[in-house]
Amino acid sequence: MAGAGGGGNDIQWCFSQVKGAVDDDVAEADIISTVEFNHSGELLATGDKGGRVVIFQQEQENKIQSLSRGEYNVYSTFQSHEPEFDYLKSLEIEEKINKIRWLPQKNAAQFLLSTNDKTIKLWKISERDKRPEGYNLKEEDGRYRDPSTVTTLRVPVLRPMDLMVEASPRRIFANAHTYHINSISSNSDYETYLSADDLRINLWHLEITDRSFNIVDIKPANMEELTEVITAAEFHPNSCNTFVYSSSKGTIRLCDMRASALCDRHSKLFEEPEDPSNRSFFSEIISSISDVKFSHSGRYMMTRDYLSVKIWDLNMENRPVETYQVHEYLRSKLCSLYENDCIFDKFECCWNGSDSVVMTGSYNNFFRMFDRNTKRDITLEASRENNKPRTVLKPRKVCASGKRKKDEISVDSLDFNKKILHTAWHPKENIIAVATTNNLYIFQDKVN
Amino acid sequence: FSRRRERAARGLGAGGAMEFRLEAHRIVSISLGKIYSARGQRGGLKLHKNLLVSLVLRSARRVYLGEPGGECALPPRPGPPPPPDCERLRRGCRPLASEAAARGRPECPAESPRKRSAAERDPAAGYPGKKPRRETEQPPPQEDMETGNVASLISIFGSGFSGLLGKERGAAEATEPGQVCCEQPVLRSLNPWSTAIVAF
Repeated sequence: MAGAGGGGNDIQWCFSQVKGAVDDDVAEADIISTVEFNHSGELLATGDKGGRVVIFQQEQENKIQSLSRGEYNVYSTFQSHEPEFDYLKSLEIEEKINKIRWLPQKNAAQFLLSTNDKTIKLWKISERDKRPEGYNLKEEDGRYRDPSTVTTLRVPVLRPMDLMVEASPRRIFANAHTYHINSISSNSDYETYLSADDLRINLWHLEITDRSFNIVDIKPANMEELTEVITAAEFHPNSCNTFVYSSSKGTIRLCDMRASALCDRHSKLFEEPEDPSNRSFFSEIISSISDVKFSHSGRYMMTRDYLSVKIWDLNMENRPVETYQVHEYLRSKLCSLYENDCIFDKFECCWNGSDSVVMTGSYNNFFRMFDRNTKRDITLEASRENNKPRTVLKPRKVCASGKRKKDEISVDSLDFNKKILHTAWHPKENIIAVATTNNLYIFQDKVN
Repeated sequence: FSRRRERAARGLGAGGAMEFRLEAHRIVSISLGKIYSARGQRGGLKLHKNLLVSLVLRSARRVYLGEPGGECALPPRPGPPPPPDCERLRRGCRPLASEAAARGRPECPAESPRKRSAAERDPAAGYPGKKPRRETEQPPPQEDMETGNVASLISIFGSGFSGLLGKERGAAEATEPGQVCCEQPVLRSLNPWSTAIVAF
């Protein structure tokens, strides 16, 4: 089992593949905006700013013979969302895919939810490898035959054909969000899911598109009193009545849908008191939580704010049980990062399959892993320089101050345009997907 | 990155207070610029980002104008203890008096010009911690901080930044594109909330 006994540092991470254009000139539509493995890990979906979804499928190789786990190849590509125009508000609605979430597999087809700022869509991805031949009324090319030429009857038969993967929109969940959708989360009841925008969270039934239930509403009567917004929300992996949402103030609220229809009153409030010695003009911005993820076990949840990753035990509200500094050397640079807007970057985080290691991105195409058991951490880089398969990645180090050692990189040399916001970990194996601006890197642990 | 600037933002460094105030002014300018440029953004105003910018603007403005509560944006300095109500201020000055709540207006003693002049008359009431007591003693003054300030902001930006001249700014900074130079009187009448949030 991946990660068992070992952690981010006992593993040697190797380059496996990179997807996307080689150009340094990045087309805006190609910017990757979300990455997600499905529940088996066989499929890997990415969404981009152009509203497209690309799904990769892992080759099922003979594991005994192969030197590596299966490669991911393009399985399906489709346009999920198009730009729209809201004539009433005179606003353009971006087609950028904010989130993709896979539904647990129920039959041969795969289903995923994809969302932009306003509309959520349920897509069915199915395979077709047979087609009927021998119609009575149609020619093979589809033209209708002259009825007078039909003199015999036959039953069409199914013959094999080249595999075709079709994506079709099965449900469109629209017009339920005034503000920008930041999260969707499928429920463990396999029937419902939630969508969250800046001020509200709605509960949907997968079969019903013309209405949803509003379960959280933090919009104040007077918008001038607004002090915080919802930044992320997720259902508990096992308890279908429980979900959490994080705020721009650094708090997480856990809500129980059994308590009342409107979950404005939380069941638990997770908040860590601020360290006064770290206070600055930007304290509020850097405490805003950009991502919240439950562990697979459901016992813990992880939050990401600008400088750190925190692990919370659901049974303890007053402080996290673990805190990992992602790039503390940026604390003295907050003013500049405010000026160039980097301070608003929303980094995501993820767990490995056994909940023993957590991963998140940083700048300069660096990403970080923290082993919860050994307490060791590692910094790696997603770069085309190491792109020979099975090349082991060299750990990187940022020199915060003082004399820079060989192979270290100083803070001032970091490229803040190269940011890793989206990462994903295979649910069962040590395979990770790391998105740079417009490229998707896949790394695997070294197989001996 | 400018080390001097960064240290000033944290209230450190030689000549700390003055540098800090200059830095606050700079942050106010940058923040207003962000709010202004956000209006033309594709996909509409991002509520989250604008809220965060408003919070920074509020803190920086407090420091720049020397209002009580400004020190809440700084790490605690040795000496007299900081005002205890940083938390309340951070929560957006939630009204303490019930009549204020009924009116549904944010009662922010530190941002109300009339309240501030009252504080100047009574130095002992300089700390926000003392404000709640005074609120219950006399009804807070009526403040219409909504449309008036939006109008003033719109008129400022409508004149293409030329309506503002910063007396303290050096020539070099005045030529930087996209910078907003703010005079103190203009700053005092700005309610960051109206400017960023009223669009919704």
